[in-house]
Amino acid sequence: MIASIQFRSFKALRAAGLRLEPFNLIIGPNGSGKTSLIQAILRLRALSQQSCPATEAVGAPLAGAKKATAELLFTFMPPHARVSARVSGVSGLVCDQLQVSGDDGTDWAEVQAQLQRVRVFLFDHYAMAAPAAPESGRELAANGGNLASVLYAYRTQHPSLYAALETEAVRLMPEFTGIELRHDLGVGMSLGMRLCDEDEILPAEALSQGNLYTLALLALTYDPNPPSIVCIEEVDRGIHPRRLRDVRDLLYRLSYPAACGLSRQPVQVIATTHSPYLLDQFRDHPEEIVIAEKNGRSATFARLIDRPDLEELLREGSLGDMWFAGVLGGVPEEREL
Amino acid sequence: MSEASCAPLKLAILSESPADEAALRTLAAAVLGGEVSFLHPGLRARGWPSVLQVLPAVIRHLHFNTDADGLVVVVDADDSVVHTLAHDGPEHFHPQCRLCRLRATFRQTAKKLPPAAGRGRLLRGVGVAVPAVEAWYLCGRDETVTEAAWVAGQAEGRLPYTRAELKQRVYGTDRPSLAFETECALREVARHARDTRRLEFDFPGFAALAGELRGWRAEFATIAGR
Repeated sequence: MIASIQFRSFKALRAAGLRLEPFNLIIGPNGSGKTSLIQAILRLRALSQQSCPATEAVGAPLAGAKKATAELLFTFMPPHARVSARVSGVSGLVCDQLQVSGDDGTDWAEVQAQLQRVRVFLFDHYAMAAPAAPESGRELAANGGNLASVLYAYRTQHPSLYAALETEAVRLMPEFTGIELRHDLGVGMSLGMRLCDEDEILPAEALSQGNLYTLALLALTYDPNPPSIVCIEEVDRGIHPRRLRDVRDLLYRLSYPAACGLSRQPVQVIATTHSPYLLDQFRDHPEEIVIAEKNGRSATFARLIDRPDLEELLREGSLGDMWFAGVLGGVPEEREL
Repeated sequence: MSEASCAPLKLAILSESPADEAALRTLAAAVLGGEVSFLHPGLRARGWPSVLQVLPAVIRHLHFNTDADGLVVVVDADDSVVHTLAHDGPEHFHPQCRLCRLRATFRQTAKKLPPAAGRGRLLRGVGVAVPAVEAWYLCGRDETVTEAAWVAGQAEGRLPYTRAELKQRVYGTDRPSLAFETECALREVARHARDTRRLEFDFPGFAALAGELRGWRAEFATIAGR
């Protein structure tokens, strides 16, 4: 898992830093660096595929490299706290060099393996509603487009896990009694939900956006071989405010598996939202909130827990209201009247 | 109890989560006895002070648009001033006491409303869990968790436990899922529902609610003329 990232001249993140927790909810206005943070992690994933990155001390220029103007410096959580990785390039758009330091020969290989399992999601309900190639169910696609095939793979390869997922789906969407998966030759794998009151199956294209996103979140959080790091953009999208507690619970299932009685490794989660209602769900864990701030063309990150007046703020109102009011920061800039 | 006073009561519950609502249903039904039904879906607020903000609208809505006989509202005290008998004195109102504030808001809103839907006014059941509803769940299982212990801790400036610790003791984690939270809540309140006296003794914030609920049957018969 990633412990921290320092940004220099990477898009709007000109001089910013961020300490990461197992779970991180990023709030902030449009253009404040939320997506750039995720892109930085993707950049590291892409470059880490090189089998032998340069291993000079981080900070020293690479031999023959052009002078770097954009730079990302990553550190990692124990047991890989000695390793750091520097991604640099001539601009934020061309960060194509990787240097690793502190590696004793095994650390980087393990970090590298974890980085290959970083996944980023921005669900698309149109893609989810379309039939999927049956053989594409190995892992959930970035847009959730192969949701039916993933669920089918769970059902055939992990039936008890699939049964638990379906039970949870019915609890979250009580208008249904179950999930229907159908494989039509020449068309592909499609999904639907069985309605409670009628003997009818609602096909994916008739399901609401929120219901499809909920199914995708379930598929992701019940994955028997989950990614190492999951980044989800607009995690609350399409979901009713009263259901956001369940969204939080599903994400915690990834980050804190022991709290759900699971024995697997935690998954680091980085989620973005614009919902004050989702923010409210983290009142008991303000250390998980990151506020992205935009000042002109540059952006920075701050952790809510670092605010000296946090205790007073929590006494005085909900986090969502405080955010909307502008007390927490992370609000759009306005032209002076 | 007369036949009229045993007529089914319909309750609305304003709570912060489905888990709290499930627990409050059980506790309210246990105190009221007899047949009880509930307004569905439940009413929700996003914690204090959101409860206080939405309460007038909730009362008006229930009064004019529903057949609910009464409203149950329970909030966590967090680190606010805990209600004492002194607050119950005539004309007394403590601005930092959540029970005083909820009662006052209820009173001020309800008194302006004309009779509607066959009833004079909406009945009130207000309680405060000190410092959080998880303390009620631990009542009878953990001797150190009582309202008196919390108040003493406040006075000494050394709180006996935190909200996170209470969660840990009840759920085994401070990040329980809603389903697990509901399961634990229902298990604990089922224990209290058999006999609420211990909960009332250890938690006057629950006794306040129970006292108001017990008054409902008689008041219900008088007000509704049923």
